[in-house]
Amino acid sequence: MSRRSSYAQVASGGNSHTNSVPARLGGFSHPSSSGAHSHAIAHPRHHSRTHDDGQHNAMSTSLGRSGPLPSYSSQFGYLKDYTRHDGSESTFFVPSYLRGSKHAEKLEEVHRARMAAQREYRSAHSSNAGSLSTSSSSANLYKMPSSHRGMTHEIVERPPALAEEPIAPWPTRWNETDKFPQMEVEENGRLAKFAGAQKSHDEAASIRADYPMPRQCGIYYYEVTVVSKGKDGRMIGVGFSGPKVSLNRIPGWEPDSYAYHGDDGQCFSNTTSGKPYGPKFGTLDVIGCGINFRTNTAFFTKNGHYLDTAFRDLKPGVQYYPTVGMKKQNEMLKANFGQEPFAFDIDKMVQDEKAAIQAEITRFKESVTFNESDMIQSLVAQYLAHDGYVESARAFAEETSAESRALANEGSASSAYIGTEEDIHAINRQKIRAAILDGDIDKALKHTNTHYANVLRDNENIYFKLRCRKFIEMIRQCSELNAQRYGGNSIPTPPSKRSTTTAIHTNNSTATKRSSTATEEYDFEMELDEQLGVHNGAPWDTPADEEDEDDDEEDEDEEDGADREEEDDDEDETEAQAREMTARMLQYGMELRSEFANDQRREVKKALEDTFALVAYENVRESSLAPLLDPAGRVPVAEELNGAILVSLGKSSSAVLERLVQQTEALVNELAEDGGSGAFINVRRDFLQ
Amino acid sequence: MSSSTVSVSVATPTQHSFQRKVDEIKVSKSDINFVIMDYLVSEGYPRAAENFAKEANIQLPLEEESIQTRVEIRGAIHAGDIDTAINKINDLNPQILDTDPALHFALLRVQLIELIRNCTSSATGDITPVLNFASSQLAPRAATNPEFLKDLELAMTLLIFLPSEKLEPELEELIKPSLRREVASKVSEAILTSMGTRGEARMRQLIRLRLWAEAKAREAEKELPPTLPLGLQTADDAITSHANGNGEDIMVQ
Repeated sequence: MSRRSSYAQVASGGNSHTNSVPARLGGFSHPSSSGAHSHAIAHPRHHSRTHDDGQHNAMSTSLGRSGPLPSYSSQFGYLKDYTRHDGSESTFFVPSYLRGSKHAEKLEEVHRARMAAQREYRSAHSSNAGSLSTSSSSANLYKMPSSHRGMTHEIVERPPALAEEPIAPWPTRWNETDKFPQMEVEENGRLAKFAGAQKSHDEAASIRADYPMPRQCGIYYYEVTVVSKGKDGRMIGVGFSGPKVSLNRIPGWEPDSYAYHGDDGQCFSNTTSGKPYGPKFGTLDVIGCGINFRTNTAFFTKNGHYLDTAFRDLKPGVQYYPTVGMKKQNEMLKANFGQEPFAFDIDKMVQDEKAAIQAEITRFKESVTFNESDMIQSLVAQYLAHDGYVESARAFAEETSAESRALANEGSASSAYIGTEEDIHAINRQKIRAAILDGDIDKALKHTNTHYANVLRDNENIYFKLRCRKFIEMIRQCSELNAQRYGGNSIPTPPSKRSTTTAIHTNNSTATKRSSTATEEYDFEMELDEQLGVHNGAPWDTPADEEDEDDDEEDEDEEDGADREEEDDDEDETEAQAREMTARMLQYGMELRSEFANDQRREVKKALEDTFALVAYENVRESSLAPLLDPAGRVPVAEELNGAILVSLGKSSSAVLERLVQQTEALVNELAEDGGSGAFINVRRDFLQ
Repeated sequence: MSSSTVSVSVATPTQHSFQRKVDEIKVSKSDINFVIMDYLVSEGYPRAAENFAKEANIQLPLEEESIQTRVEIRGAIHAGDIDTAINKINDLNPQILDTDPALHFALLRVQLIELIRNCTSSATGDITPVLNFASSQLAPRAATNPEFLKDLELAMTLLIFLPSEKLEPELEELIKPSLRREVASKVSEAILTSMGTRGEARMRQLIRLRLWAEAKAREAEKELPPTLPLGLQTADDAITSHANGNGEDIMVQ
């Protein structure tokens, strides 16, 4: 946050880009920084995501969870519940049977967001304000395989999903603050040991896990190993209980408490009288406990064998925590919440459940009255036309109408192809999109102004994004040229005149970037002049280039320019070129900044900050900001503009098929909330890939 | 962080909260493109698939040697030319029909229905070929399976009623093109399955998921708007069975 506001200052206040460097770094000092917990943060982390090492475990145990949370984690709102301040990032795991599930994906996303936030925070603290530290801040980041910047931004841009619906985490360890006092917790929270004196007949010592079993998992399962049943005792209960159930009783004997007991093999729910259920269990037995939230039933396993349904009376509204209880001194139970492979093949049980639901969905077609094939054809035709896949739409229309002719008298109106007027728009939109995807923002702006002048006027944010993108493209080019100069391998052989010509003609395909650098630079020169000269704030006032907008002609201009530049291409030339290009880039940047200086919108400020941060790096490609340069970033801009043009034409911005997928996901989310069948469906993974 | 990033979009007051949830869901273009390509290839639209690969800049799936044959087979079945279709299927892989008697029977029954249609369309039509075909090809198979027998008997009753303007719905189904279409897509699925790819286009299961999920959600009394229109004019009434001019409908081109 502080980083942002300082970016904004840079964006709006500074006059030359050199000012922006210190200002930006200054922004890294965090307002809520307090030295108190910096040791924890500065602690180097080499743990991989799935493995703990002893040193780390020791640290997390000694720090304890019950201590006050450091201030920074509270900044992450609800995340603090999920965050252990000692860096539990290394203990994040996904139980095998939940891999690929929607809920696991959501939790992983939360986890990554939190890691990114921590990293950002940490790097902010480890870089010395004042010293120029592209190196120091990026050194921290080198360890991260995925760009931390990209990730942060992605998360930040989608906050509502995170902020509105906290994603329920699953149990990870026994809870040291939710136990009978004489219970001890060891081994990174997984071992529960009864250290007190033997309990009387109706008393016991119980402990609950840190989080309830999330209903959104559909099926939740954990196992405990009886490490030691203590001296001639085996009054051990494994099960689950609500958050308020008394902990000085064995689980199963209280309301909202359910368990399987080792001394008699009986299972107990809500009362002290059990019912015969399975075998007795003792030392070294592995007992599994699972809930199927779809059916609100629970089952147990012993040493990998399924023991039938134990309870059918679970309440939909109660949060159930994994709970174990024991009575004899030195009784010890070790839990596996999914950190390790399970003894029982729970994966198969979940797979079977999924398969049953898939089969139910397949059968659902029989109850559908409309013609599925017709509907799909209309959806596909509409999508192809809507998104401007002109040739595909045409071919599809021909093929489907051939099909309906073969079917003779079936008068299928659905394959009727939309008329020629639509075609023109589709072609225009396609052209504009292609230009953006090729990084030629000016061409896209020009076409848009020519055909849909009102779109940029009405959608200032898109106009802004395009302008930012152009700046990024300029930076890209500079950095590409720099890479050529300093990259060790000398400049690629200057293309011959002939090959340049072809290169230019295929300029629209991204493949030729390098060889056509000169051309594009020339482009910039042209466009920049244009903007400097005529451009006074409102882009739509730019006399939409008088020149013929026929691409070929444009190419010829470019060709001339390229030839001119190509004539004496040597190192000096390249350097001069680079300098000039950098100068232009900076000039454009300043223009951009002054144009939007007074814009108070958060997204605008943020985008400006991010973009200008790029300038600070000598070699952007190796900086943590490199992802901003990724050509993949063109896609969202292109799609957004395409959508806006469609809206301006009185059409929906998204195709019906997209709408259908959105609705489907939303419906499945609803069905997953309370652990129903939706919990076993991952729309994207199971249906779209 | 949360403080600066929480930006709940201001919804119009009339908008249902579920609608907002729908709007918040991000759909990846590449996922949609994948589903489209999968559909074009497995349902046999080779030219559209080729063009789409170019325009969307994605790869044509590799396994597609059979696509042209599948298109031809589909065309033959659609046109009622079952002999050609069966020959082509057997050329491709004789196992397909051998291992799927139900599919083979369905094809032969389409052929029978076409024969009946031909001979009943003119007053002078000869029903001998129909009877021969039925007794030589279908009857032996029907003897093995009561379902087949029932289907055969039903088809034969067409002989009595055709030509006719008003048929029992059961019989009406038999002479509708949708029967041929259905059989053709079953054949296509069987060919794809025999090649080891997933038989059915993903799009189909996706559509069913959408309908199933809505039905389930309504059954569970989740808070949903009375209708969830897609905005596809032709199919709109079909997918939302009780759609009646809901104003929320999105515009379509």
